[in-house]
Amino acid sequence: MKRYVSRRVGYCLLSLFLLSVTIFFFVRVTGDPATLLVEPGASEADIAAMHHQFGLDKPLWVQYGLFIASLAHGDLGKSFYYRTPVMELYLSRLPNSLYLAAVAMTFSLIIGIPSGVLASVRVGRFWDRAGKMFTLLGLSLPPFWVGLVLILVFSVYLGWLPSSGAGTPLHLIMPAFALGWYFAAAHMRLTRSSMLEVLGSEYVKLARLKGLPQVLVIAKHAFKNALIPVLTLAGINLVIMVNVATVVEVVFAWPGIGRLLYEGITFRDFPVVQGVVLMGGAMIVIVNLVVDILYAVIDPRIRLES
Amino acid sequence: MNSAIKRRESHANRSGLTRRDVLTLSATGVLATATTLAPLRVLAAAPQGQLTWGIHVSLAPTWFDPAETPGLITPFMVLYALHDAMVKPMPGQPFAPSLAESVSASEDGLGYEFVLRKEATFHNGDPVTAEDVKFSFERYRGASHDVMKARVAAIETPDQLHVNFKLKTPWPDFLTFYGSATGAGWIVPKKYVEKVGDDGFKKAPIGAGPYRFVSFTPGVELVFEAFEGYWRKTPSVKRLVFKVIPEEATRLAALKHGEVDIAYSIRGELAEELQRTPGLTLKPVDSPATFWISFVDQWDPKSLWHDARVRKAAGLAIDRKSINQALTLGFSKLTGNPVVCNVFDFFWQPPEPAYDPAQARKLLAEAGHPNGFDGGEYYCDSSYSNLGEAVLNNLGEVGIQMKLRPVERAAFLKEWGEKKFKNIVMGGSGAFGNAATRLAAFIVKGGPYVYGSYPDIDDLFEKQAVELDHGKRDAILQKIQQLVQERTVAAPIWQLAFINGVGPRVGESGFGLIPTFAYTGPYEDITLKGS
Amino acid sequence: MAVQTEVIALPPGSPSGVFSRLSFLRLKNFPLVPALILGFIALVAIFANFLAPHNPEIGSLTARFKPPFWQTGGTTKYLLGTDQLGRDVLSRLIFGARVSVVVGFTAVIFAGTVGTTLGIISGYLGGWVDQVIMRITDTWLALPALMFAIFLAAIVGPSMWNIVIILGLVYWTRYARVIRGEVLSLKEREFVRLAIVAGCSKWTIMYRHILPNVINSAIVIGTLMLGVVIITEATLSFLSVGVPPPQAAWGLMLSDGKQSLMVGRWWLSVLPGVCIMLMVLSANILGDWLRVKLDPQLRQL
Repeated sequence: MKRYVSRRVGYCLLSLFLLSVTIFFFVRVTGDPATLLVEPGASEADIAAMHHQFGLDKPLWVQYGLFIASLAHGDLGKSFYYRTPVMELYLSRLPNSLYLAAVAMTFSLIIGIPSGVLASVRVGRFWDRAGKMFTLLGLSLPPFWVGLVLILVFSVYLGWLPSSGAGTPLHLIMPAFALGWYFAAAHMRLTRSSMLEVLGSEYVKLARLKGLPQVLVIAKHAFKNALIPVLTLAGINLVIMVNVATVVEVVFAWPGIGRLLYEGITFRDFPVVQGVVLMGGAMIVIVNLVVDILYAVIDPRIRLES
Repeated sequence: MNSAIKRRESHANRSGLTRRDVLTLSATGVLATATTLAPLRVLAAAPQGQLTWGIHVSLAPTWFDPAETPGLITPFMVLYALHDAMVKPMPGQPFAPSLAESVSASEDGLGYEFVLRKEATFHNGDPVTAEDVKFSFERYRGASHDVMKARVAAIETPDQLHVNFKLKTPWPDFLTFYGSATGAGWIVPKKYVEKVGDDGFKKAPIGAGPYRFVSFTPGVELVFEAFEGYWRKTPSVKRLVFKVIPEEATRLAALKHGEVDIAYSIRGELAEELQRTPGLTLKPVDSPATFWISFVDQWDPKSLWHDARVRKAAGLAIDRKSINQALTLGFSKLTGNPVVCNVFDFFWQPPEPAYDPAQARKLLAEAGHPNGFDGGEYYCDSSYSNLGEAVLNNLGEVGIQMKLRPVERAAFLKEWGEKKFKNIVMGGSGAFGNAATRLAAFIVKGGPYVYGSYPDIDDLFEKQAVELDHGKRDAILQKIQQLVQERTVAAPIWQLAFINGVGPRVGESGFGLIPTFAYTGPYEDITLKGS
Repeated sequence: MAVQTEVIALPPGSPSGVFSRLSFLRLKNFPLVPALILGFIALVAIFANFLAPHNPEIGSLTARFKPPFWQTGGTTKYLLGTDQLGRDVLSRLIFGARVSVVVGFTAVIFAGTVGTTLGIISGYLGGWVDQVIMRITDTWLALPALMFAIFLAAIVGPSMWNIVIILGLVYWTRYARVIRGEVLSLKEREFVRLAIVAGCSKWTIMYRHILPNVINSAIVIGTLMLGVVIITEATLSFLSVGVPPPQAAWGLMLSDGKQSLMVGRWWLSVLPGVCIMLMVLSANILGDWLRVKLDPQLRQL
């Protein structure tokens, strides 16, 4: 078991290392931040001075070495644009993104699970189709567009909700819905197939034979068991959501890390881009690691096979 | 920022179920009252004595420090609130004495004497002294600092209230650079900066301006509070909040909904919508940003653009009036001068730019292209691709077929400077300065975006650089601009109007008070309605 | 369920007939409407030049913002109205179909080819090859897809073909992981063992025995990815790093039309949105049906 875990951790680190190298060199290919921070017409000397300030005049491998060295201290460098440490920027915005993702996930599950259950119980009939339609619709509409329509209807036309920014639960509703609807389909599908599997199991057959009413069978026995894989997927999707929420964050001016990354790319703010991508990657890798380990704990075959 | 983290933590501490229930309940409530309450508008409530701006760019802490102004106009949005300068552009005066009570230049043009205002103080109560002025100049490292440092021989501070700048050679543009184009003349407190360091200063800046710093959440929000000890007058609005809303449609929605009182940069259809909405006012401001098309291959004898008639034809093909009406509701200025803004010093007013597609086709035929030609690629900054598309359309109508290549801003600036573009580049610049600075960057040899130049123009330019007499200099620069126009080195498009929206709570918005300044200012003159 | 398993484990060397797959189509529950919609869109894309009444990229400023013909102010000259530069919306939608179809299918096939190949190699060969490919996949997966795409678009510049490459590069990982998992279990099957014993080379086995059996999964993943790819293309255009103007692409039209949406000119935004929705929805429904028919074991998708 220990070997399994340590192997997995090793792979994690390797992945992260590859990620850091990739992202490091990629950002530098995209362009020069100095030209963005001055108006066209600035002198060569000004631009050179900026390069020096950002440490961009050093040879590439030296820059990389410095980057990794400070990484070991948990220092992601300083943003070119904001001049504040990237870690600080990231940590101040991360809770906002997590918050948004959590509520969006809630919406997603509120939509997805009931429609999945209904669909599994009434296979092929109206509720199956209706549930599928609604969630698939969410999957077929670009989230940014949904967001804009929501703003139009609920902010401008009806005036019920604030259009942008963060601060109150009201600010959260529209972006969370726009984001959550997109993921609802995946959860619905999984709930449905998971429920179908459980409903066909011996355990449930026995409950039915015992004469329990259908509703009770579903609610008490099938549902709980079916939920496990759905929640696992939800957990993984949460992390993906945080990373994918960018366009929703831009539309709603939500102060999350997606927007931070987008601005970083626009301004060629290398440390921000490196930092956010690395942290995002780290989150995914860690979640995968945790899931792998949990599976190994639950299922001995997996850890024995390696 | 710590407060932002604390705020988030306290939200997260409440149990997730409770929040979920609240949300579910609100959602149900919303649905239940849908039909009956549809026409009800819930406007956001705003505290008395506060105005909120919806800003189109992300605020950077470097803008709190005048030592690092990058030559863009945007940082001045913050500088005018937080800091003050020896001389700065103010309503009616391009070099209004502010922290300085008076400025006088010596006869030989080698010295400038500033007398400080006795009553000027920083937000922490310390008086503004000559030491601070000298310190602020010496620590300046933003755009053009090398030019300034090279020209200034010494700074004398004979007493607390007198500062003398001694130049190495006469420099007629000194005040332009010191007072408006750079942040060198914006004064920061020496003792405080030395105590907290540059980084500490950016976290909690102190200046001598009408508003003091309260808080900043990077990329999100900036808050100011009135500084009652400001020498010029006590500001009328107690609190200023700047919210970052980069998405234009969302910004307008925020303005309509009452979440912001002033929204920057609303263009095209959204501007039309703004005009139509009762309670909202459209405020166009002239910006110093001129746009033009640059024929970067014209010096290559093999290129189609080498023939001046072809270039002239391109210029005649552009239907500026229609484009102006469509994109900026007619507020942009059609000056006919491609590169120099009309309020700049040494501006030359060309004859009104003509729109004559028939003449354009005739010229093309004369140049050997009776059926037009394939002009290749038309490069532009992708944030202005709507303008590019419109111009491209016009060119196509006279037979010049081109392909639009919008390039993302960062890449655009980089490749433009690296001389990677061909055929036509749609250029634009909003930098501060005067005719000379603009010509230097875009027309004259040695400029960062100059792909080629004409020797006679270059010679004239060198002459004016050392000419002390304003009148003579003016004549030379005017001649240069004339030559540019005659040869169609670049064809003008327009001088962009910056369109903004103002909500019902605002009295004096501050738009258009300071010439060439696209944003609201001076802040101490801004008022709420009814106050 | 037992039936499907046998279909998958084909005897070694037998052609995995396209015809045996086509016979599924005669079964009940085939989503006819979505298939027809996709087919229609594909036809429109192919014959765009003949179908479009106007040039999609050139308009006249005097004919801006005309509404669809059934509204006041609309004309039958521009059936679905015009946009901010006076370009005919119908023509742009028609040519936009071409972009969506080309970008969608090409990106999916590109990603599918790369991903499936790497998945097969990784799963079958195992060992350090597997580890290397998996590490790269993990790393790639950790890069948020959208960000990676914005990135690349910023470097190489926006153009339709660049977008195809970008999307392909971003999404191949979705295939690789799943295919690899399949291959791992396929490796242990009888027919593979038989082939090894018969002396087939590794590459032969991978090509003739493994590949035909994972193609079903790849196709299913492909139909689901089609929707994702199109939505991503629309999002990239919204962020100004997608298909560049003045080309007609539905995503770009959505992005251009967002201002018009705020102003009441619904047709500029809603019509391309409906087109995207129809295409993606159809692809998703078809994909769901395929998944159930071809490989019920693919539950996680």
